[in-house]
Amino acid sequence: MNYVFEFGQVFAAWDELLAGALRTLWLSAASMAIGLVVAIAGALGKTSGPRWLRWVIDAYIELIRNTPFLIQIFMVFFGLPAIGIRLEADQAALLALVINVGAYGIEIIRAGIESIQKGQIEAGKALGLHPLQIFRHIVLKPALQAIYPSLTSQFILLMLNSSVCSAIAASELTAAANDIQARNFRSFEVYFVVTGMYFVLSLMFWGIFAWVERTFLRQPATR
Amino acid sequence: MILSHPIRRRSLGGLLALGGAATLMPGLTRAAKAATPDEIKKRGHIMVGVLTDYPPFGGIDSSQNPAGYDVDVARLAAQALGVELRLVPVTGPNRIPFLLTNKVDMLIATFGITEERAKQVLFSNPYSALTTYILAPKSLAIRTPEDLKGIRVGVARASTQDIAVSAIAPREIRLMRFDDDATVTQSLISGQTQAIGASNTILAQLTANYAQLQIEPKFTLRAQANGMAFRKQDEALRDWSNTFIKTITDNGELGKIHQRWFNVAMDPLPPMPQF
Amino acid sequence: MRSLGPNEIWFILLAVRWTLLLSIAAFAGGTVGGLLIALMRTSRFKGLRWAAIAYIKLFQGTPLLMQLVLAFFVPGIFGIDVDPWGAAALGLSLHASAFLGEIWRGCIEVVPKGQWEASSALGLRYWNQMRHIVVPQAFRIAIPPTVGFLVQLIKATSLASIIGFVELTRAAQVINNAVFQPFTIFGLVALTYFIVCWPLSLYSRRMEQKLALATR
Repeated sequence: MNYVFEFGQVFAAWDELLAGALRTLWLSAASMAIGLVVAIAGALGKTSGPRWLRWVIDAYIELIRNTPFLIQIFMVFFGLPAIGIRLEADQAALLALVINVGAYGIEIIRAGIESIQKGQIEAGKALGLHPLQIFRHIVLKPALQAIYPSLTSQFILLMLNSSVCSAIAASELTAAANDIQARNFRSFEVYFVVTGMYFVLSLMFWGIFAWVERTFLRQPATR
Repeated sequence: MILSHPIRRRSLGGLLALGGAATLMPGLTRAAKAATPDEIKKRGHIMVGVLTDYPPFGGIDSSQNPAGYDVDVARLAAQALGVELRLVPVTGPNRIPFLLTNKVDMLIATFGITEERAKQVLFSNPYSALTTYILAPKSLAIRTPEDLKGIRVGVARASTQDIAVSAIAPREIRLMRFDDDATVTQSLISGQTQAIGASNTILAQLTANYAQLQIEPKFTLRAQANGMAFRKQDEALRDWSNTFIKTITDNGELGKIHQRWFNVAMDPLPPMPQF
Repeated sequence: MRSLGPNEIWFILLAVRWTLLLSIAAFAGGTVGGLLIALMRTSRFKGLRWAAIAYIKLFQGTPLLMQLVLAFFVPGIFGIDVDPWGAAALGLSLHASAFLGEIWRGCIEVVPKGQWEASSALGLRYWNQMRHIVVPQAFRIAIPPTVGFLVQLIKATSLASIIGFVELTRAAQVINNAVFQPFTIFGLVALTYFIVCWPLSLYSRRMEQKLALATR
């Protein structure tokens, strides 16, 4: 092994790395929030919309789920200007991520809607529960419990996927890494540190998600 | 010519037969030790990193093999050494990592000689030259670096244009870094950037194919001398290459290559930059 | 500069073979690694379980792009020459091992504890329990999520383009760099991926529905 490690030059750029990590956080949180809205709308359209709408939503889901994200982001960034829509790199990254996560989210939300049992709602009514109580305890909570694991792992995947946005000059953690290694040529050191930073972000989110589940979504002790 | 594409070199049948464990094995070979001309002659091949996305210096021909000025120079070098040429496609940002992690013996990859890079690698004397400019449509009024305020400017990450623009640009510039020159050019054509830092060869391409964009050079970024690049310890190979460059310059072979790819006679090569 | 002709389109379409070969190599490597991880993850030994969990978390908690970049640079540092093909196959195999390992762990755990105890009582050892009791049951339910992951893996090979392996996506970039028609070229590439992936997705879903009906 005749390679001399030089991590000093990487840590010297800590402010750039931190800014990149914050951009990654912002980008993934924003696209998850908007993506969730797309997913809920899509799931409602798919479960109770007219036939043509269901067909359109199906086509959207299949198209996105069966093509690579890298191609999708190229299409948004370089393809859309051809039809007169020019987005900034960061906007294009956000849009591509929303389109992508929306397609996965629809199926997750739909599974949640379908997990609601009509009979239980009737039972709740018969017991004289207030409609808000019914919504909270019989509709929302079980549905959230059903979709929570898939939804949160989708969020982690989304955050990790956002690293691909560096290909269109969007500003986020991987782009920061690219810029730093272009200056000091310590490619291995830079990518090693940045991989570690992504892992810390993942650990953080796993922790937060687990805490939310324990605190707000715990199964009542009926079993 | 043998293109150093791994799968063409190694049989894939064995890999598929062996299944999983074997997938970890292809491509694993012992790295070359110090690359000296003698060692290269003994092993019978030389691995040269070239660009494939920067025509006419390094592009691909109609049968999709690497082709261009750099490739022709590499071929001459292998001939002079009497060894087989294995071309390894590299990109602008991964050129130095490829060299430093022993994936190539040397780079002939339109690599501009700069002080920063000279700290990492050894350079030969210049074997080609180009000029880089800020390119933008005629309608955009840019005369000085100051005029780049608020303009979206595209450059290839880690290129000499990147370094030059970063050095002269006002704070308000919106610099966008892409992975290669072709993507940068793409960004200008699609309107994602308003101006780009690029060379005269890119300008010629844009003028020939996108005349309606009316792209023109706004001001010169730098006159760039390109050198072959080597690992720090490979001084013997560098010295051999300097002699080789002098030989093909004097006997007119380099001039012929220039004529072939640029359709004009070659200007005298610039002197070796001193830092 | 050239224009987009049959030659260029053919070059792009031919590159799909590298995408397929890389997917097969990564899936084969991931199968071996994934089995190992799944067995470790369900093992009786705490140390093995923890090692498997750490491995899975590490690969599920970092971007695949970074895994590929590191698979490319790390061996070089130790003096082992890995070309982009080797690096991509290695990185994707390690990545697939984590995800397949986690998928198959779930399938193994579906087999009720009682069956393990009963077969122990019958004198079956670990490997025989696996072979006769667990695998036949786990295999059936493993098919849909495994095929689903295969689709993810095929799409993931597009990232190998970033470390310089010339597969479908990189071929499209190289051609696009010469002819500058992004919409047509990337559209064509998207369609190619779709033609490869969609039947697999459909198959995975059909099997899942069949299974859901059978176990209801």
